[in-house]
Amino acid sequence: MIRRFVCPSLMLAVFLVSLLVFPGMSAAQKFDWQAFAGTSIRVMANKNVSGETIQSQVPEFEKLTGIKVMYETFTEDQYRQKVLLELAAGTGAVDVIHTATAQEGLKFWRSGWYEPLDEYLKNPRLTDPAFDLNDISKPALNGNTYDGKLVALPTTQQTTMLYYRKDLFDKHKIKVPQNFQELEEAAKKLHNTEDGGQKVVGIVLRGKKAAATSQWAPYLFGMGGTWLTKDGKPAINSPEAIKAFDLYGRLLRNYGPPGAVNYHWYEAVSLFVQGKAAMYTDVSNRIFFFEDPSKSQVVGKVGYALFPAGPAARRPTMEVWSMAVSSKSKKKEAAYLFVQWAASKDTILKIHMKGAPSVRASAWKDPKFLAEQKHKDWIEASLKSLEIASTEWNPPVVAVSEVRDEVGAVIVSSILGEDVKAAADKAAVEMAKIMEKTEGK
Amino acid sequence: MTDRTDLRIDTTVATSAPRAARPGAFFERHFGHLLPLPAALCIALLIIFPLAFNLYMSLQTWFVSSATPPKFVGLRNFVEIFGKDARFWNSIWITVEFTLLTVLLELVVGMAIAVYFHRDFRGRGVVRTVMLLPMVSTPVAVALIWVIMFNPSLGILNYLLSLVGIKPLLWLGHPRTALPSLIFMDIWKWTPFMVLILHAGLQSLPLTPFEAARIDGASRWQLFRYVTLPLLRPSVAVALIFRTMDSLKTFDTIYVMTEGGPNNASEVLNVYVFLTGFKYFHIGYASALAVILIIFVFAVNLLLIRVRERSWSY
Repeated sequence: MIRRFVCPSLMLAVFLVSLLVFPGMSAAQKFDWQAFAGTSIRVMANKNVSGETIQSQVPEFEKLTGIKVMYETFTEDQYRQKVLLELAAGTGAVDVIHTATAQEGLKFWRSGWYEPLDEYLKNPRLTDPAFDLNDISKPALNGNTYDGKLVALPTTQQTTMLYYRKDLFDKHKIKVPQNFQELEEAAKKLHNTEDGGQKVVGIVLRGKKAAATSQWAPYLFGMGGTWLTKDGKPAINSPEAIKAFDLYGRLLRNYGPPGAVNYHWYEAVSLFVQGKAAMYTDVSNRIFFFEDPSKSQVVGKVGYALFPAGPAARRPTMEVWSMAVSSKSKKKEAAYLFVQWAASKDTILKIHMKGAPSVRASAWKDPKFLAEQKHKDWIEASLKSLEIASTEWNPPVVAVSEVRDEVGAVIVSSILGEDVKAAADKAAVEMAKIMEKTEGK
Repeated sequence: MTDRTDLRIDTTVATSAPRAARPGAFFERHFGHLLPLPAALCIALLIIFPLAFNLYMSLQTWFVSSATPPKFVGLRNFVEIFGKDARFWNSIWITVEFTLLTVLLELVVGMAIAVYFHRDFRGRGVVRTVMLLPMVSTPVAVALIWVIMFNPSLGILNYLLSLVGIKPLLWLGHPRTALPSLIFMDIWKWTPFMVLILHAGLQSLPLTPFEAARIDGASRWQLFRYVTLPLLRPSVAVALIFRTMDSLKTFDTIYVMTEGGPNNASEVLNVYVFLTGFKYFHIGYASALAVILIIFVFAVNLLLIRVRERSWSY
C-alpha cells in the first residue's frame, strides 16, 4: 500500500524537480511563436501589392508572437534608396527587408547585407514544423540562392503571361498564339480593326526604356538568348538577343500604339482596359485591373494564356518578392520569425486571396481560393509558369538599374526602327564597362 | 613719473572693473560677430559642409555597396566626364537648348501678354488672377496631367489637332518631339512669371516720356520700340536672370514626364546627375557631375549679372 503510493509520487516529485531545475529544457526543443514576445522589430517594405497585403496581416503576426512590428512602406524608387542607405550605414536599425533579389540581390549579397537563412530553417526551435519549404516554387528559391546560401524567403510572385481579348479573337477567328510567330500574325490581323466604334491596336507592350527590359526578357529567353555568356560577359548583342530586340520592337512599331516608347505598365494597362488593344504581355496580377468594373471596360472579355514559346524555349519570367533578415540586425531571431511567418502557408494563402499571387502551389489549389477565382485559364497559366519560369527578369549583375537603362535603350531603338545591331553592340560595350567597375569580385 | 604710474593703474582699474562686474563683457566686445553666428553656423552646416563634402566625394568612386568600397581616384571622374562621356555632353547641349528656348520664348510671349494687360478692360483683375494659375500649381501634379494630355492615343492634344485636320503627333513619344513638348509645357507654366514682373515694370514707368513721344508724333510701334522697351530694361533683366536660373535647374517636370527619355533626348544635366546618383548609385561620379553643374549655373548667372550691370541699367 505504502509502496504503491510512494513509487508514483516519487516519480512525480523527480519529474517536478527536474522541471524546476531545467525549466528551459523542454521549451528549448520545441518551436514557439511566442518565444520572442515583447521585442519589437522594424520592417521596411516596398509599397506594392506584395508589401501592402503583407502589411494588412501584420496585426495577426503581433497577436501570434507578441512581437511589436514597425512596418514602413515607401514607393518603389524611394524604397530602393532608403533601404540602400540604411544598409550601407550599417547601424542595424532595420531588421527585416522586403527584397526583390533579381533587382538588388547580388549587390546586397556581395556587400554582406543578407543573413543566410539555411541554419535558421534547420533549427527546430526557430522553424515551425508546419513550414513546408517544398511547397514553394523551386525557381523562386533558386533565384534567392547565392553561393549555395538561401538569403530570403519568397512570398509573392508575378509571372509574365499573355492577355488577349477573347471577343476579338472569336470575331476574327484567331487561335490563341502558342509561339512568337503566331503572336505576330495575330497582332498583324487585329491591328487597326474596329471594335465598338474605336480602333484597336494589335498588341501593347511596355516600351519605356528600363521599364521594358523585364518584359522583354521572356522574348530573349524564348529566342534562346541569355543576359550573360557562360564566362559572365554581356550577351545582349548575341544573334539570339538581336532577334528578340527585333521582334519586340517590330511588334510595337508595326502593331502597337503610337508613342509606345513612353509606355510603362501603367500606360499599357490604361490602353488595354479601355479596350484599345487586342493583346498584351505583362506580369500576372494585371488581372485585378482587367476584371475590376470600376477601372475596366473589358471585364469578362479577357483571356489568359501561358506566355508563347520562342524557337528555343517557352520561358516566362517570374518577379519574386521576398522577405530577408538584415545581417546587421540585433534581433535576428525575432526578425526570422517575421520572415517565416510572411512566407508561411497561412499568411501566403491570405495575401494570395487579397491579390498578391503566391509562390506556394498549395495556395493556388486551395478550395477557398478556387471557389472565389473564376478565371481558370489564369490559374492554369500561373501554375504552369511557377514551374517553368526564369527568375532572371533582370540581368544578373550588381549595377542592375544602369544595365537596364543600356538594354532599354536598345529596345527603344528597335521600336523607333533604328539599327538594332549597332545599338546592341554599343550597349554590350557599355554594359561590360559598367560591370568592370561594379562587380568587385 | 608718479603721475604716469597713477594713470596707468587708473586705466587698468577702469577697464578691468566692469569686466569683473559684468560677465557679458565678452558678449559686448564681440557683439558684431555673435549676432550673425547662428546664421553663419546654419550656412556652414547646410551649405558649405555639403558643398565641401560633395567636392570630396567627387574625387572618389563609390557605388554604395560593400562589394566595392569607396576608393580615392583623384581627378579621374572629371577626366572621364570631359573626355569620354558622350551622355554628359549630350545633356549639356540639351540643357542649353532647353534654357535658351524656354527663357526667350517666355520673354516674348510674356511681354506680349503684359502689354496687352497694361490697359483697362472689364474683368482685368479676374483674367490676371487666372493667368497666374499655371505658375502657382504644383509642378509634379501638373506634369502628370500634361503626360495624360500628351499621350498620343488617349490625350486631348492629338484630339484637338485632329479637329483642325493636323495629323497626330507623338509628343513625348519620339526623340525629336520630346524636348519641344517639354519646352511647350514649360512655356505654359512659366510665362505668367514673366507677365507678373513685366507688368509690374510697365505700371511703374513714368508717364512723361510717353506724352513727349506722342506729342512728337510717334506711332504706337515706335512708342513701344523706343520708349517702353528701353525703360523696361531693368525689369526684363530681372525676369531673365530669375527665369534662367530656374530653367537651368529644371528637374521635377522633366523627370516626371520623360525621365530624360526617349533615349536621353530630353536628359538635361540635372536629370543625368540625379539618375547617376540615385538610380545607379555612382555617388562619386554623380558628385563630380554636380560640381560641374554648380560651376555651370554659377558661371551663367555671373555672366548675366555682369551684362545687366554693364548695359542694361540706366
